[in-house]
Amino acid sequence: MGMLKYSDRWRHQGWWLGMAVLVAVIAWVDTAMEQAVAAAVLYTLLILLALRKLSPRGVVAIMGICVLLTLGSCLWSLHSATPVGWINTIISLLAIVVTAYLGLRMKVAQSKAQAAQERLMQLTRVSNVGALGASIAHEVNQPLASIVTSGNACQRWLAQQPPQMERAHLALQRIQQEAVRASNVISRVRGMAKGDAPQLECVPLAPLVSEMMGLMQSSFDSQKIKVDNQVPTDMPDVWVDRLQLQQILGNLLLNAMDAVQTARERSVNLDALPCISVSAHVCSERQVQLTVMDTGTGLVPAVSEHLFDAFWSTKPQGLGLGLSLCRTMVEAMGGQIWAENRSDGVTGAQFHLSLPLAPETSS
Amino acid sequence: MKIPMSVDTSPSSSRATVFVVDDDASVRASVQDLLESVGLHVYGFATTADFVLHLQTQPPVGPACLVLDIRMPGQSGLDFQKSMAQLGVHLPVIFVTGHGDVPMSVQAMKHGALEFLMKPFREQDLLDAIQKAINIDQAHRVQVSERQALQSQWQQLTQGEQAVVRGVVAGQLNKQIAADLGVSEVTVKVRRGHAMRKLQLRSVADLVRWLDRLDAF
Repeated sequence: MGMLKYSDRWRHQGWWLGMAVLVAVIAWVDTAMEQAVAAAVLYTLLILLALRKLSPRGVVAIMGICVLLTLGSCLWSLHSATPVGWINTIISLLAIVVTAYLGLRMKVAQSKAQAAQERLMQLTRVSNVGALGASIAHEVNQPLASIVTSGNACQRWLAQQPPQMERAHLALQRIQQEAVRASNVISRVRGMAKGDAPQLECVPLAPLVSEMMGLMQSSFDSQKIKVDNQVPTDMPDVWVDRLQLQQILGNLLLNAMDAVQTARERSVNLDALPCISVSAHVCSERQVQLTVMDTGTGLVPAVSEHLFDAFWSTKPQGLGLGLSLCRTMVEAMGGQIWAENRSDGVTGAQFHLSLPLAPETSS
Repeated sequence: MKIPMSVDTSPSSSRATVFVVDDDASVRASVQDLLESVGLHVYGFATTADFVLHLQTQPPVGPACLVLDIRMPGQSGLDFQKSMAQLGVHLPVIFVTGHGDVPMSVQAMKHGALEFLMKPFREQDLLDAIQKAINIDQAHRVQVSERQALQSQWQQLTQGEQAVVRGVVAGQLNKQIAADLGVSEVTVKVRRGHAMRKLQLRSVADLVRWLDRLDAF
């Protein structure tokens, strides 16, 4: 870990040193060259480098320095034998400012695209079923409330002297209607939960994993978690529903990320580098095993017992549906999912998926 | 099971009105039915806007209260409760909700909600809450009319008479009051007599008590 920090710092210092050398060279060329050319245009190189590494504010600062240097060398060269000339200077300044402006615009657009992607990931996250759950609960609760209250009213109409049969009858009618309404909600939910049968197809595993990791790269980066795709590119294709496998993998990766984050918050497992790795191997004639491994808090027996139960969660905001739905989806594709602690001495969990091989390669 | 035939048969709540605002037609109808079965006068509304419109054309004559759903499209029940004072609606509020949580109920109670009931609610809870709300509104109405009566009596006095009454209640002698107001002692005596007659009071002690009640509002 110390090694890494050291090399990081070295690289950082090297970058600034390179920038400084570049500035010096360009300034020297701009000022001292015999020909009156717009050498200051080369400052755009600095801007482009800065855009890759620095925050927008840093880029603006670098731009300011470049503008000042350009103006300075123009003024300085006025008194020398080969003045740079105002036209050249203005061309250089324009190039510097326009490059910085366009570069920053692009950066903003990129970060917006990244944010949108993260939101998309969050949406696909199955725990967002939370909102759905609350809405279903409301949908069922309304008719139930009406049934209970109507039942009370009906009793009261009947208890009156003389009994108000007409009103009691109306209340009963409402009870029937509402019971039908509640059962309609339930059957709608059931239809939704069952979903469509998985669309099985030949899917190459390695690209799917790297695609998913790419989608979540920015989240991993912001939490400073290393991700490692160890799926061999020559893996045989698997026979799965592409979309569902993406959802399952996305869910496992998000869980792993949460686990690493939790470990960090509780200051456990500090001697391991925060890392999530995905690996795969052919485990039998007909099956591939995909493994997602993290350096999180690991699984205690009380947790692993209920891991795949519906509505069971260790997370305060969790609805406890993520892994339960994952299991349903994996099993519908003819695979299995299970979890255990890492066996390599490092604290952390590993989740295994067994997936059927595509027919061509299995025969 | 014991089923009371009505909430209250005392004359004070005989004309009691309950307003029910719930966007769910069926829940609204069932609550309305239940309350009617105990002899209450009920109006149901799908939105708070409809309810306000009704109040503007037909304000309740007797004691009344409001049964309000929290979760409604458009203006929520909580938002409406906050704006009630501005709209000049002073009714005890009973909240009903399908998905209440603690912060929500705290917020509702802070703004003066009388009760916070979770759907489906026990009928007795709702009826008890309504009884309580009606009583509160009744007491409020009595208080308001009493205050109005006292104030209109006070307004019948001239400014000079009011000043004399203030002096008497403050324990000043007629002589002192006369000096303070720059009038003769006879004038003070006359004004004092007029004031006592207009307020229909006999003694200074009565007058002190009367003014205390007025000032208490």
